[in-house]
This record gives sequence, structure tokens and C-alpha cells, in this order.
Amino acid sequence: MANLTFDALEKSYGGYHAVKGIDLDVRDGEFVALVGPSGCGKSTTLRMIAGLEEISGGEIRIADKRVNDLPPRDRNISMVFQSYALYPHMTVRENMGFTLKIAGCSKAEIDEAALNAARVLEIEPLLDRRPAQLSGGQRQRVAMGRAIVRDPDVFLFDEPLSNLDAKLRGQMRTEIKRLHARLGTTIVYVTHDQVEAMTLADRIVIMKEGRIEQVGTPDQVFNHPATQFVAGFIGSPPMNMVPAKVAGGALWFEDGTELPLPAAFEELSDGHEVIFGLRPDDIYPEGHGLDAGTGDIVNLQLTVDLSEPLGNETLLFIRFAGAEWTARMLNPRNVARGERLNFRIDMARVHLFDAATGCSLGRQ
Amino acid sequence: MDRNASARARKLTSRWALNLALFVAMAIICLPGFWIVLNSLRPTVEIMAKPPIWIPRELNFDAYVAMFSGVGQGGIPVLEYFRNSLIISVTSTIIALAIGMAGGYAFARYRFAYKSSWFLGFMLTRTVPGIALSLPLFFIYARLGIIDTHLGMILVYVALNVPFTIWLIDGFFRQVPRDLSEAAQIDGCTRWQAFWRVEFPLARPGIASAGIFAFLTSWNEFALASQLTRSTGSKTLPVGLLDYTAEFTIDWRGMCALAVVMIIPALLLTYAVQKHLVSGLTSGAIKG
Amino acid sequence: MKAMRLPPHVMLLLPAVILLAAVILFPLLLSLWSSFTPFRLTRPDSVWQFVGLRNYTRLAGDADFWVAFGRTVLLLTLALNLEMLFGLGLALLVERASRGQRVLRTILMFPMMFSPVLVGFQFKFMFNDNVGLVNNALQSLGLTDQAIPWLIDGKLAFIAILTAEIWSSTAVFAIFILAGLMAMPRDPLEAARVDGCTPWQTFRYVTWPFLMPFAFIAMTIRSLDVARAYDIITIMTDGGPAGRTEVLWTLIARTAYSDARMGIANAMAYVAILLSIAFTAIFFRQLAKARAQVAADW
Ligand SMILES: Nc1ncnc2c1ncn2[C@@H]1O[C@H](COP(=O)(O)OP(=O)(O)OP(=O)(O)O)[C@@H](O)[C@H]1O
Ligand SMILES: [Mg+2]
Repeated sequence: MANLTFDALEKSYGGYHAVKGIDLDVRDGEFVALVGPSGCGKSTTLRMIAGLEEISGGEIRIADKRVNDLPPRDRNISMVFQSYALYPHMTVRENMGFTLKIAGCSKAEIDEAALNAARVLEIEPLLDRRPAQLSGGQRQRVAMGRAIVRDPDVFLFDEPLSNLDAKLRGQMRTEIKRLHARLGTTIVYVTHDQVEAMTLADRIVIMKEGRIEQVGTPDQVFNHPATQFVAGFIGSPPMNMVPAKVAGGALWFEDGTELPLPAAFEELSDGHEVIFGLRPDDIYPEGHGLDAGTGDIVNLQLTVDLSEPLGNETLLFIRFAGAEWTARMLNPRNVARGERLNFRIDMARVHLFDAATGCSLGRQ
Repeated sequence: MDRNASARARKLTSRWALNLALFVAMAIICLPGFWIVLNSLRPTVEIMAKPPIWIPRELNFDAYVAMFSGVGQGGIPVLEYFRNSLIISVTSTIIALAIGMAGGYAFARYRFAYKSSWFLGFMLTRTVPGIALSLPLFFIYARLGIIDTHLGMILVYVALNVPFTIWLIDGFFRQVPRDLSEAAQIDGCTRWQAFWRVEFPLARPGIASAGIFAFLTSWNEFALASQLTRSTGSKTLPVGLLDYTAEFTIDWRGMCALAVVMIIPALLLTYAVQKHLVSGLTSGAIKG
Repeated sequence: MKAMRLPPHVMLLLPAVILLAAVILFPLLLSLWSSFTPFRLTRPDSVWQFVGLRNYTRLAGDADFWVAFGRTVLLLTLALNLEMLFGLGLALLVERASRGQRVLRTILMFPMMFSPVLVGFQFKFMFNDNVGLVNNALQSLGLTDQAIPWLIDGKLAFIAILTAEIWSSTAVFAIFILAGLMAMPRDPLEAARVDGCTPWQTFRYVTWPFLMPFAFIAMTIRSLDVARAYDIITIMTDGGPAGRTEVLWTLIARTAYSDARMGIANAMAYVAILLSIAFTAIFFRQLAKARAQVAADW
């Protein structure tokens, strides 16, 4: 077990800058998730930790020791690949024992470790099969088993669940969480599934175009997104975002609709162009929302364009202030198209972002 | 810190050592060809010089001029040899392709009893050493009166090329999904039409390389040609090369020039097939 | 016409079968027959005189024949193994080159274009004791002041022939193994590095098992055509001097065409054919096994 530090880490492929200088401290035993849109450099970063990719600039330290030029085998890491990367010509047992065999352990030790890992992941009956004879979920377990037979400083996961169907993914997610609780090893976990990131990670790193946008706990990145990008990326369905302008202590939308300026933003000067952000949870039909408990509520009569029932909740699509908004209705009842409902907006939960820079204007 | 430095140093040295090894290997591969071209351009005295002359003082095309200037002027009937080689190689290639395509298609698309034994049997006919085959053929051809003729050479080269052509073409047809031909048949083609309109065009690059490979085999063959041809009317280039050797002497310069003439068509053709050749031979192995 | 419709695969295979039967099988039967006769080209009617196994028993007691046989097997074994080794090395070197892959691959195929006769002449020239490149280079570098009799001394000539043979055929191995390397999935390699493998261990446990069938394909293809070494040898030394580099094939040619003793030459040819078939059949079997393995796993 060890901590992990990035110092101005950079990577370029020929002329293309894939990672543009990132700084990060991962504490010993911490579970950190790297999220971001496709191509933002998550895998590249992970592969630099593993030593599979040369580092173009900056430094990586594992347990406070610089590892920039060390080959993977000298870094004491384990990795689970997106494609699992099982050795096709070896049985499950051999796959899991391989790293110990290379390390020169005795046959008995290897078998013992493989059996232990198989027991943890409940794949004992599969030990003598080959990867081609396994289902996707089983291969996934073997890949994890291969990672845990050794006692590495850091676990690396590159979208390990993305090839599984939704149900299995949920199951394996719980399993990974349990594994972390049990082993307590430092984990860096790449995913583009924000639910995975939110449920698993101690801290989430949101990347965009090779840079870090925000690092924070799931609560921080959800409730206090540092930028418009983070706000839009985290949360499902995504936050409603509509451009507006500050004038005379109020917010004016492009179509002339007016909302009061929330108390937290009173210092904003007139004429400031902002992006108004509101999560679907914070705009709901009366009697169908979370009990927000703040007094700062705005009531609006709005028409429902479309409703999407999901069982335990219903998403309502409404037009307001010249844009389409998503609202979330808890304890739903049937809503007809075109029905007019009384909606409540919790103004204390409004996010404002600078229209020019995309940075959050408060509530940090 | 020094662990990083030594790891990096090791990486760098091994990279340079491997690049050097690659360079040396490539040099060894190229050297003989380069040597031949160089010596076809040098006067004989320079080739024979003692101590050796490393940097050529004089380069000219005399050897080529002499070669083409015909018999009697120190030349050999190179044009006739070239023509014989071309006729024999091209004709035998076309026939081998037709037969090989039928056979390869059968192996790729039909199931039948003892299929792999048949395949092995075909391949084993290819293993018969040319010189061993030449003994009975010499006798039979002499009886039939087709010894020292184009026809005789074409026949034996077709037989020589068919097994390998079947192997290659079988591989290429395997790469064309069976579904495609079935879809075409559902779209209203007969099996024959489905073959010509769908499967054949898709396998064409591979079939072309099988053809070129067959051509090269015939173009370069020596063991059979040296026994079954005698006269200017049917001798091929590899056999013609021997014209430059006398009992105790060899005209190195002239032979190098003829070698260059021989190698150029092969060079161009091989370059053209390099991409497809390997994929056809391996696909059968990888996809079972 | 409809009445005698053959199944399509039979129709498709028929031309190949007929041709091979006529041009290969029938002559081979004939040569099998004549190997039981004292047939001489100079006395055509001797082909009808059956002498049973006399040619074969004579061969069995012929020391020259057995020396040539042993030399052939030695040459093939050495050549095939060394070619495989060099081909593997070359393929690995080319695969890791970051630039110029296409050019390198073309150079790699270069020797395959050379007719074996040409290879023979080329190396005969280079190993010539008087004007050859090898001796010239050795003398100019001051490594020796004598003309080394490369093609005259039996052992040296064997080495020269082996060199020519390896030069001309290593490409087959290199190209197939290279194809295997390029078809190989990257992930298991990276997984192996993370699992702590040194480059050698990665090769030994992950790369090589994947490459094996490709190496067998190359082996099989090479073994189909081993007898082309005849062309090289016949040019370089023609089995000489004084039989010091005689192999089966040159011995056959000499016995049949120079001595005109067709009967015994055919007996020798049969031994050579069986040898070739044995080599090929072994590799075909290995290939089938490797093929099943790969189809199941990768
Ligand atoms: N070998 C390479 N050569 C050149 N560019 C590369 C290479 N590998 C990755 N890139 C580029 O670097 C960028 C980051 O790639 P990376 O694989 O890290 O993305 P990612 O965040 O993992 O995306 P995804 O979620 O799709 O896996 C991409 O734009 C990609 O095109
Ligand atoms: Mg990725």
C-alpha cells in the first residue's frame, strides 16, 4: 500500500498533447476515480502510472519514490484491463498464478494464492477452464482475481465494467467496493460511467482535454461543481443550463423572463452574463419533490410537454424562459401531456456560472 | 533516484544495440544483390584484380550490350530464353490458377469425407523433389515426343503449382464470409452467379497473389527445366545462366548481368504481392 | 446428362486430381516400377527386366549413398532450425522498429525473389577463393593472407552451402512470424509487463505460444520445397569436389544423367521422396494441432 503523486504530469504523442500537466495526490488506501468524456486522457494517465506509456514531462511518485523510468515490473502495481487481457492459452488458475510464477514463488504458494483469489471472487469451479470457455462476467472476475493475487501498492482499473450488461455491472460494482473495503489498497479507477464513480470513489477527478477540471468527493463535485463542465458532466439527467443576465437584483433570461437573484449571489454586478444552472431535482411539481426545507422557493405555473415515467420517479419536460427544462417528480402520478402544474424552484440550490469562463460564481 | 537513471540507461543501450542488429541484418540481406548489380557493371579485369579493387574505377553497360548482341558476339540467346520463360510461366500460371481456384473453392466451401486427408495428399504431391520427378518424366516425355517443348514444361509446372495455389486460394475464400454468398443467393443469384459477382471480387487480390506466386515458381524453377529442356527453343532463363559457365571458367560479369535481367520481373511482382501472400497462407491456419 | 451429375465438390476437384495423377502420380508409379529394374537409358529394353529389390539392397550397402543421405538430413535439420531462429530474430527486430516498416518488410522478402540457381551462382561467386567477396574482405581486413578454399574443402563447402540456403530461405520464416506478431493482440502483452515479466519472460510465456502456429506454417511451406536446395548445391559445388558435398539429390542427378543408371537412380529418388514426405507430414501434423489450439483459444 502506498500513496501516489502526480507532479505536472504530461504526455504528448508526436505533436498531440494528450495530457497537459496534471497535479494530484492520492492518499494511501484512497479510491480515486478518473472520469471525463471519451479521449480526455484517462487511459493515457493510467497507463503512465502502470509504466506502459513513457512519461513526456513531470513526475509520478509511488510511495514517495520517483518511478518515471521504471519498467512496469518494478512498480508493484496491478491492473485490470478493459478487455480483461487474459492469457488465452492459460487456464484460469494459470492466469491468476502467472504473476507469482514470474516472481519465482513456489508451486504450493501459487496454487494457494490462486485458490484464495478464486474463493474471494467465487470462481472456484472455473479454475481449470480457459478464458475462451468463460462468459463475459466470469472473465471479468478472473481479471480481478489476477490483480488481487499479488499484494500491490496500487490497483489500476481501466473501465473494467464497460463490457458487461447493466445488471452484471451493478453487481460487480458492489463487489469492487467490497474488495476495496477488505483490502484497503490504493485504487485508481478509470470510468466514463459517473454512477460508478459516485458510488465507488472516495474522490473523483474530472478530466477534460488532458486537464483536471475538478477534484473532490462525490458530494463536492455533485453539490459544488467548480465549472459548468463538471456540473453538466456529473448528475443524471444533466443539470438544466440556460444563459441569463444580472440586472437590478434579478436574473433576466433571453426571452424576458425574470427570476429573483438568489441571496448567495447578491454581490454580482449588473450586466454580468451568467449561465443559470438548476438540477432536475430542484424543480418539481408541488408535493412531489425532496423536502428541501429552505424558505427561498419560487412558484411557477408551467405546462408539461412530455413525461417519461421511470417507475419510482417521472421526468417531466417543460418549456420555461425560452428553453426546455427537465424536472424530476418523485412519488409520481400520471401526468397528461399539456397538463398545467404548479412547479417549485428551490432558489437556494441554483448554480450560477460565468458565461465567459464557465467557472462557478459562488457556493464553493 | 539512481534506480530511475539506471533503468533509463539500460533502455537506451538496448534500443541502440537492437537498432544496430537490425541494420546489420538488413545489410547482410541486401549485400549479395548489391554485389551482383555492381559486378555486372564492372569490367572483367577489375573483378579479377589482385589485390581487390573496392571502389569501382569504371562502370559501364558493356556486359548488357554484349549479352543482347547475339550468339557469336560473345552473347547468348537471351531474348529467346526470356521469351521461353515468359510463355511457359504465364501459360502455366493461368492454367494453375483456373484449376487451383476450383479446388480451393471446394476446400473452402464444401464439406466432404476425408477432406483433410485429401488436402494433405495434394500438398504431398508438391514435396516430390524436382530431380526425382524428372527421371520418369524424362522417359515419358521422350516417349510422347514432348521433351524439349513448351508444352511439356507447361504441363509439369501446372502440376507443380496446383497444390500450393489450392492452399492459398482456399485461405482467401475462407476469409470471405459464407453469409455473403448466401445473401446473394437469396437476392436471386444462382450459386454460379453468386460466386462470380460476390465471392470472386472479394477474393480477387488474394487470387492475384496466388497467381504471382505460381508465376515466380515457374520463372525460377531449375531442377526440372535443366533436364527436360535442351535447345534454344525451350530453354528458360535459369538454365540459360549455365551458358556463362565453361568447363573451368565462369564469365562472372556476363552472369551477373543475366542475373539482373532475371531478377527484375521477379522483384516487381513480389513487391506487388507482399501484402496478400501471408494473409492467404495464414488464414486457413488461424480460422481452422 | 442430368443422370450422371456428380456432387459439386467432386466436379471442382476433378481437374486437379486428374492433372496431378497424370503428371505426378503416374510418373511416380513408373519410377517405382523402374526402381525394380536395372534400367539404363542406353538400353531401353532393360526396363522390362524385373530384378525385385536388388537396387534397394545394393543401396542399403552403399556407403556413398548413406553418407549423402546423412548429409542431406543434417543439412535440412541445421538449415530449417537456423532459419527458424534467424527468422524469429529478424521478425522481432523488424516489428519493434518504429519507422520504415514497409521498406523493411520489402527488404525482408528480397531473397525470396531470387531463383535458387541465382542464389547458387551468387554465393559461388562470393565464396570463390580467388575473386570472391568473402576472401577479398578477409584479406583486405588483414584477418588472413591466404585464399581460403571455401568451396573446395568439404567442411567449408558445407558451411558455404548452408549459408546460401539460410540466406535464401530465412525470409519465409521471418515473414510468417512477422505476420503473427502483427496479428497478436496487444493487451496480453501489457498485462504480462504489469504482472512483472521481463521482456524475455513476456516472450517466453505470452508471445511465443501465440506465434507457434505461424512458425509451423512457415515450417510446412519450407518443407514442401526443401529439395530446391538441389539447385543451390548443384551450382555451387555439384556435390564435389570428389563427392565431399554430395547430397541425395545431386547423387540422383549424377547417377541418372551422367551414369545413365536410371534403375538405381529411381530407387534413390524413392528414398528422397519418402524423406521429403516424412518432413512435410511431421510439420502438417504439428500445424493441425497448433491450428486447433489457436482456433479454440485466441
Ligand atoms: N498511441 C497514440 N498515439 C496518438 N494519440 C493517442 C495515442 N493513444 C491515445 N491517443 C490520443 O490521446 C487522447 C487520450 O486518449 P485516452 O486513451 O487516454 O482517452 P480516454 O480518456 O481513455 O478515452 P476513452 O474514454 O474513450 O477510453 C485521445 O485523443 C487519443 O486519440
Ligand atoms: Mg480509455
